[in-house]
Amino acid sequence: MKKSIKQLVLLSSVIAFTVTMMSMTQKPGEPWNIPAKYKTMKSTIKAGDASINAEGKELYNKHCKACHGAKGLGDGPKAASMKTSTGDFSSKAFQAQTDGEIYYQSIVGRGEMPNFEKKILDENDRWAVVYYMRNMKK
Amino acid sequence: MKKIFTTYGMMTLLIASFLFTSATLFAQEETEATPEEPQKERPARPAFESGLLFDNATSTIQPSKTLEMIIQHRFGTMDNGVSDLFGIWAPSNIRLGLNFSILNNLMIGVGTTKYNKMQDIQIKYNVLQQTRSNSIPLTITLYEVIGIDGSADEKWGPDYKFSNRMSYFSQVILSRRFNDMFSLQVAPSFTHYNAHIVDTLDHDRIAISAAARFKFSPQSSIIVSGDFPLEIQSISEQHDVTILDSKPNICIGWEVSTSTHAFHMYIGSAQNIIPQENIMFNKNDFFDGGILIGLNVTRLWSF
Repeated sequence: MKKSIKQLVLLSSVIAFTVTMMSMTQKPGEPWNIPAKYKTMKSTIKAGDASINAEGKELYNKHCKACHGAKGLGDGPKAASMKTSTGDFSSKAFQAQTDGEIYYQSIVGRGEMPNFEKKILDENDRWAVVYYMRNMKK
Repeated sequence: MKKIFTTYGMMTLLIASFLFTSATLFAQEETEATPEEPQKERPARPAFESGLLFDNATSTIQPSKTLEMIIQHRFGTMDNGVSDLFGIWAPSNIRLGLNFSILNNLMIGVGTTKYNKMQDIQIKYNVLQQTRSNSIPLTITLYEVIGIDGSADEKWGPDYKFSNRMSYFSQVILSRRFNDMFSLQVAPSFTHYNAHIVDTLDHDRIAISAAARFKFSPQSSIIVSGDFPLEIQSISEQHDVTILDSKPNICIGWEVSTSTHAFHMYIGSAQNIIPQENIMFNKNDFFDGGILIGLNVTRLWSF
């Protein structure tokens, strides 16, 4: 009887460990399928606009920081609980994208990346967030 | 026609005057600094992070098709000290609410509160929205709370009618976001109760509320508010309005706001949660031990 209990406890521990490890493993995101109109989309504000470090920073901190981290390194407190990697905004691969591609990924989203069209209503504010992330390059 | 205003009321009127004067000055300064022709007017970012500030409504309305769940909890007053862990073990009050934004400037809500089994229906409408160009320097909001007391019929005696349960709170909220750190609102209100169970209460009450936010980090703010019932002899049913002994609801606390949540942790003096109940019945004196711990949590879902 004691042996059976020991085996049951051991088996349960192995299953729990395996499930935990599987849930902690993050897969890189699938390639984004971005509509053409977004790829060539033009910003409604200029680079260097004062709103980037005002509204852009404020909105990034409110909506993005919890997952993507203060510097966009993907190390926010909620990042570890995501199934998909939250990426690195300072990386060359991220910064090589067009403004419109970053806009689509940030504002329209998909899957675990929420849609922010209802939370950031103003078009200029959305672009201020995009440019704020542009400033995170290494 | 003797009118007796409380000191608090006068202070709040001064704040209101400051708000209007400052708004006009800011508008002039920023308009002069913008030589280009105005394009499409852009609404200013909301003055407050949430549509709720302690027990009060703010001018903030979430974007259309957003559902907001609200949990408001008020512990007992701290005047019994450590014997009831500063009110945490004392009888508490709680309200659960749901608000839904039909339009970007129109919200309706319902809620239920433990004290008096109060049910409430709320409507909030932004008549004017502050703009970034300051062509409109203030946000002006109309706010109405209809309360339905769910107590047993016997509470009102043999002449009970359903209308006895009804109370109304009507408010005009004037708010301004001065900059990314500081926002202020002033809100005169009129409260009416159809019936009371004692004669020593008025059916009508005018009050002035004020609230402010000082944002000190990306997600954290110090928030303060005060609801000041005005003791006005000319609308009072009492021979001497001072016997009403109304106490203001003063709150000070910490707000943490994220993309989908707002949290308020604070000390305040009123426990009734619903604004007309606080205005009409609060007897806790913030400066004489009548303070309690309050908590608010809001959660947003967009559709």
